[in-house]
Amino acid sequence: MADKQSLEEIREQLKQSLVEELSLEDITPEEMKDDEILFGEEGIGLDSLDAVEIVLILQQNWGIDLADMDMEKGKEIFASLDVLAQYIYDNA
Amino acid sequence: MSRQRGNKPGFWFFRLFLKTGGLWAAYGLLYGVALHYWLFDRQAGKAARAYLSRRFPENGKLMIHLKCYRLFVSQGKQLIDRMAATSGAVRFNFTLLGEDTLADLSARKSGFVLLTAHAGNWQIAMTTLGRIGKNVYLVMHPEHNTAVKQSLNISSEGAFIDTIPPAGGPGDVLKIIKLLKDGHIVSFMGDRPYDAATGEVTFMGDRAAFPLGAFSIAAAAGVPVVMLLASRTGFKSYTVDFTHVMTPKYEKGRNKRDQLTQWAQTYADILTDFFTKAPYQCFLFYDVWRNREDPGGPGEKRSVSGN
Repeated sequence: MADKQSLEEIREQLKQSLVEELSLEDITPEEMKDDEILFGEEGIGLDSLDAVEIVLILQQNWGIDLADMDMEKGKEIFASLDVLAQYIYDNA
Repeated sequence: MSRQRGNKPGFWFFRLFLKTGGLWAAYGLLYGVALHYWLFDRQAGKAARAYLSRRFPENGKLMIHLKCYRLFVSQGKQLIDRMAATSGAVRFNFTLLGEDTLADLSARKSGFVLLTAHAGNWQIAMTTLGRIGKNVYLVMHPEHNTAVKQSLNISSEGAFIDTIPPAGGPGDVLKIIKLLKDGHIVSFMGDRPYDAATGEVTFMGDRAAFPLGAFSIAAAAGVPVVMLLASRTGFKSYTVDFTHVMTPKYEKGRNKRDQLTQWAQTYADILTDFFTKAPYQCFLFYDVWRNREDPGGPGEKRSVSGN
């Protein structure tokens, strides 16, 4: 059985996946801050299509199915990269 | 002629005519009302011409202007039909195409995405889904809810249709995917973006912006997209077509927005074909050709500076 990923490893893999899967330019995984805000004008401005992609990334990379999560909790875990990484760490 | 253009006294008159004289009386009143909008509502005329000039490129300005009136009357008749259907006063005949498709989809555990457009009487057509035993959720902004709820009898007991007002955040995605996995139908407007992410497609021979969300959600949930096309074929008669179905699945190594745009293009082609056969069923009173924004563009990487 594979060792559980550290929070740092999850964060780095998440940055990599976001840049690659969402085809983001102007930013590299290295440039992405740990507490990067993901959605809205304050952050890197991801949109609803990206939210769908993040749901898929979590499912494919960490086997996390968010479909049963309630909407309020969903908003919380998408708040920033750090929060999302922590959620993956706690639930993967 | 659209929801915003009607008012309570106007609807009251139409209901009165409908109640006392039936459909023909209400249609009679309509010709005068449509004439008023044709003559004085410049905004509606301009929006209608955006479509008509592309549908009838061979026509000059005068013919296009005359065809505007015909389009207004066509939409008015369908609004009256919807009013009559909602009141239960008139029974309409539906010719359903794709019943086998619906039977197959209703037998599945998961639901499907239903893609509608400002084409024909989609609201009246949607009531035909009652037979398959799944709930339908319309993804719709709150400002459009009242009119749609009225036209679909949503608040009535036993209604199987409801609306989801998008909050604009990632929570919407979770809610919609859950509904689909629980076996429900989630319906999106496929021909007008309403501030959602779009891709640039060719529609009626010209570049236009079509929303991509429906295809993105379907690919994520692993469910098919069923396209609803409803046309009024005569007095009390409608044809409802559910035969166009696609199951979006990403190909590895290809830009996902490109693939979403490609699926939206397939839909635009189907709609173009539909409007070629039924030119007076297009009630898209919005210039999707002029008001197009594509943050990334096909085949391009995206800037993170905003959408």
